[in-house]
Amino acid sequence: MSAEPDATTKLFFREAIVRALGEEMRRDEGLVLMGQDIGAFGGPYREFDGLHARFGSGRVRDMPVAEGAMVGVGAGYAAAGGRALVSITYMDFLMLALDPLVNYAAKLRYKTGGQLHAPLVVKTTAGAKGQGVAHSQCIEAWMMGVPGLKVVAPSTPADAYGLLKSALREDGPVLYIDHKRLFPMAGHVPVSESCVPLGVARVERAGGDVTLVGHSWMMVPVLAAADRLETEGISCEVIDLRTLAPLDTAALCASAGRTGALVTVEEGQLTCGVGAEIAFRVHEAVPGIRAARVGAAPAPVSSNPVLEAAVVPDADRIVAAVCRLLRGKP
Amino acid sequence: MIYQLLVPGPVEDVEEVRILEWHGGPGSAFAPGDLVVELETHKALIEVRAGRASTLRAILCKEGAWQRIGAPLAVFSDAADEPVPDNAAELAELAVSFEVV
Repeated sequence: MSAEPDATTKLFFREAIVRALGEEMRRDEGLVLMGQDIGAFGGPYREFDGLHARFGSGRVRDMPVAEGAMVGVGAGYAAAGGRALVSITYMDFLMLALDPLVNYAAKLRYKTGGQLHAPLVVKTTAGAKGQGVAHSQCIEAWMMGVPGLKVVAPSTPADAYGLLKSALREDGPVLYIDHKRLFPMAGHVPVSESCVPLGVARVERAGGDVTLVGHSWMMVPVLAAADRLETEGISCEVIDLRTLAPLDTAALCASAGRTGALVTVEEGQLTCGVGAEIAFRVHEAVPGIRAARVGAAPAPVSSNPVLEAAVVPDADRIVAAVCRLLRGKP
Repeated sequence: MIYQLLVPGPVEDVEEVRILEWHGGPGSAFAPGDLVVELETHKALIEVRAGRASTLRAILCKEGAWQRIGAPLAVFSDAADEPVPDNAAELAELAVSFEVV
């Protein structure tokens, strides 16, 4: 059955991931998935549903609670000529696996003079959703400065599908980050098999007064803030980064050059964060740019919902930051 | 009496559901507790069971379609031959919420 080129079908976020994994496993027989509870259980968010039944326990491998070993085995298998996706349930646990990811996988091609490379995707889930200090963090900014490592963070089912497929065709390691709060979401995904290129941001909404930049779950409060600002007569251009490394600096500078004002939004910490990097790069290309950053308060993320909400950015704080920047007052 | 079956809620985090399977069609009679329809969220199946004896008259959302929490799924009536309005506005005025379990 052939579909219209622009035809879409509505899928849950998890189904977009399952579809990307299933298609890429069919395309590349060397692709092996490894992770905790991804076998018959189907994954922590059911984002591996049915893959174990389709591809068997040789290619969809349940792993022990040993993140360092999981990424190490994945990187080694990839270096030996395979291709691996390793699922790290929560991004906080990625800290246990930074050595094989940063010191081995990301540097393999450089240190072997191009003789070896590690086609490895580490998939993980970031973000605050009531699970407390060590299960809520967004540490993607730590990973943006690792030469040899690409980082993607979709905000929609369509981008989850397309970015994951592109990541699974890369020669080197890619960190793919989704978010706990994205999983209840459904959205339209192309019916035809397709990829979303890495390194290309998307203008989600055109506007003239200020450029708002976000990624992952933060796109939801960013777009809500843009709606509210519109009613106050402020027109926002909204950019979804989609890829954090390499950053689509050209798209950011083009937009901020037009609007003259930039507000970055991230769920992680502001210090040495995504916004700090973006603001400086845009400042280099667009001298005189007015810029502001919105991010987590400098505190751990509590499992207490009141304290969690006090730390994580929301639409109110984004609106306030834009108003302060443009009008010099809240 | 005419009833409208709405997507039951609220369900935490869920804004809309996908209709998985209807367990009957127009004309089917349901006793209290009978399974009417199964709905799918991002992580669970919701079994919607009849809260009263009634007859299914019209299905408004086919299997595979999506509907928002609180939005209409189907029309029921007490008597199998009771006249049911076919336009949504009139129906919304006449119908009361169908009880589910």
